[in-house]
Amino acid sequence: MKALRRTLIALGVTVVIAGIVRLRGSGGTPPQRGGWRELPADELD
Amino acid sequence: MRAVLVGLGAVGTRVAEALAASDAVESLVVIHRDPRRVAPMLRGLGPHVEVRLGGAGDMPRGDVTVLAAPGGMLRSAEAALAGGSHVVCVADDPAEVRGLLGLDSMARARGRTVVAAAAMAPGLSCVLAAHLRAGFDRIEEVHVASAGTGGPACARRHHAALAALATDWEDGEWRRRAGGSGRELVWFPEPVGGADCYRAALADPLLLVPAFPGCRRVASRLAATRRDRVTSWLPMLRPPHPEGLVGAVRVEVRGWVGGRAETKILGVAVAPAVAAGAVAAQAAQWATAGRFARPGAAGLAELVTTPGAFLRELAEAGITVAAFQGGHLEL
Repeated sequence: MKALRRTLIALGVTVVIAGIVRLRGSGGTPPQRGGWRELPADELD
Repeated sequence: MRAVLVGLGAVGTRVAEALAASDAVESLVVIHRDPRRVAPMLRGLGPHVEVRLGGAGDMPRGDVTVLAAPGGMLRSAEAALAGGSHVVCVADDPAEVRGLLGLDSMARARGRTVVAAAAMAPGLSCVLAAHLRAGFDRIEEVHVASAGTGGPACARRHHAALAALATDWEDGEWRRRAGGSGRELVWFPEPVGGADCYRAALADPLLLVPAFPGCRRVASRLAATRRDRVTSWLPMLRPPHPEGLVGAVRVEVRGWVGGRAETKILGVAVAPAVAAGAVAAQAAQWATAGRFARPGAAGLAELVTTPGAFLRELAEAGITVAAFQGGHLEL
């Protein structure tokens, strides 16, 4: 019974930590230089 | 030309408007399951537009058929092709796109074109990739990312894609990975800006790999919120909006130019349904005008030999291409 309880607690903690890791943070850093420039029609050749 | 349009959702409505406004279109027949409900919507488009009840079994004959209704696309495409029509599909489900590409030999035998995906991504993404191709001696990698959804069917597809397996091309073979993994911050043109993007069941690689033979890597990612990821394995918790807000597509191509490694990036910020409607309508006109590279079933990266001209014509419909320049990605 004690072992089962410990297993369930360990599983629960794992799920919570995995959820936090999955949701937090960002996928990288934004570009530090440069930017978007609209292309006029003559540049599409 | 005589055009047939199946579906009148967020994308279908845009296709109908664009085709009805074109001088090249003599007649447009819209197939819908409830003609009486949609007839008033079409009345303003002109006397050459009519709506009919129909399905894959009794598809009217046309020079080109645009399929913009979710589901059953393969059956409808086969029926239209059998009737001698070019087919343009607004498909984004990889299984559906795979099926449509399987119509290649049937389409070639009939001298007709099946555009397997003419939406924003895939569709516009393929044309942007094709346009970037010209600037390289050799292409190593193509990365596509998209943000936003069109109508409710597109939103449902977005939801399902995050929960399904993603298929990317890596080192000459297909790799399957869990949807919702591989987070990457992607910088889209304004007003979308930065968005975290994830692997998902997307069809772009299926269409881009044949168009870029020898390319080492082709991957596609989808912008999603944290809530999208957490709830992707559940049914949609609330019904989708009638239409999403502004979205974007971004294509990054890496390769070699004159012995130097280089990265080039193009993007478009636009409402996805608007982009899909414009791309599908234009693809329909290009198909009937014989402006595609060959008959058969393929994506726009293979079919469009003059992507600059395609993009210029799209610009007239308000879809403006932007290039990312001066960033740290230029090696």
